Amino acid sequence: MGDERSFRVALVADRYVNPPPGGLDGLAVLAAAGWGVMQLPDDAYPAEVARLLLAEVAEQVEEFSRHGYLFVLVGERAGLGEALAAVGVPVPPRIVPASAAELGGFLAAQPVPPAVTAARE
Amino acid sequence: MGVAFVAHCLLNQNSKVREGAHCAGVYSPIVDVLRAKGWRVEQMPCPELAFAGLNRFWAVREQYDTAAFRRHCRRLAAAVAGAIAARAEQGEEIVLVGVQGSPSMGVTITSSDPDRGGRPAWPDGTPEHTGGEGIFVEELHAELDRRGIVFRVAGETHALATHDVASERAHLESVLENGDG
Repeated sequence: MGDERSFRVALVADRYVNPPPGGLDGLAVLAAAGWGVMQLPDDAYPAEVARLLLAEVAEQVEEFSRHGYLFVLVGERAGLGEALAAVGVPVPPRIVPASAAELGGFLAAQPVPPAVTAARE
Repeated sequence: MGVAFVAHCLLNQNSKVREGAHCAGVYSPIVDVLRAKGWRVEQMPCPELAFAGLNRFWAVREQYDTAAFRRHCRRLAAAVAGAIAARAEQGEEIVLVGVQGSPSMGVTITSSDPDRGGRPAWPDGTPEHTGGEGIFVEELHAELDRRGIVFRVAGETHALATHDVASERAHLESVLENGDG
């Protein structure tokens, strides 16, 4: 059985997954570019709900990172940096894109994931 | 319209067990239906990823049905249920979109083999599939019941022998439109 994973994961602010009318559909850009998405909690959530969700996101990022998966951050989310720091992971390269083209260019400029490099060697 | 809480891997196939990723990242057939119908998409954590890691083996429900995994799932379920409750309080309809056949994320079909264990060598196939919920969905279901939150369910069906993208899409549309999940 084949496995088509990309080893590329984007942490994505909610507004790019559920864009408001006229907003940038970041999920569509990421899907077309072959990136996996880890959605960050909506800013409208109560602080304690968001804190718990961010803690789970951070634990999963730590697991991916140890295995050489590549991360980027699309948008921003209060509390993410603290959640990642708690598991010893830095905030990945970030973009707050204004257009699909800008996001696409950012994704295309990212390096090959370490996991892919290791598999080739 | 409402809010669809989807299995982690539907937005991130990188979380799948090795040899289980059906595409590079976002599993679009499910996501496209949800967005076309005007539903918000919210991603749940992957219960298996943070617990057993990326190098986990393919497993059946019995192998995850331990006190430690249930405690882990209850922690995740409490976090997710908080988000679901916030949406439900706003009057939003809720649907859970799981992964049929999964030991943790199955919504009406999970996997079962009471004898599986030891050195991991077994034939691939579908005899392990059985009716029921995966461990995480079971714990989330209990938490939502405790909070009095009503929800529907649908599932991605790649693991089933009967998998067909058109049928998968049609069933999800039916659940979203008619609530017959």
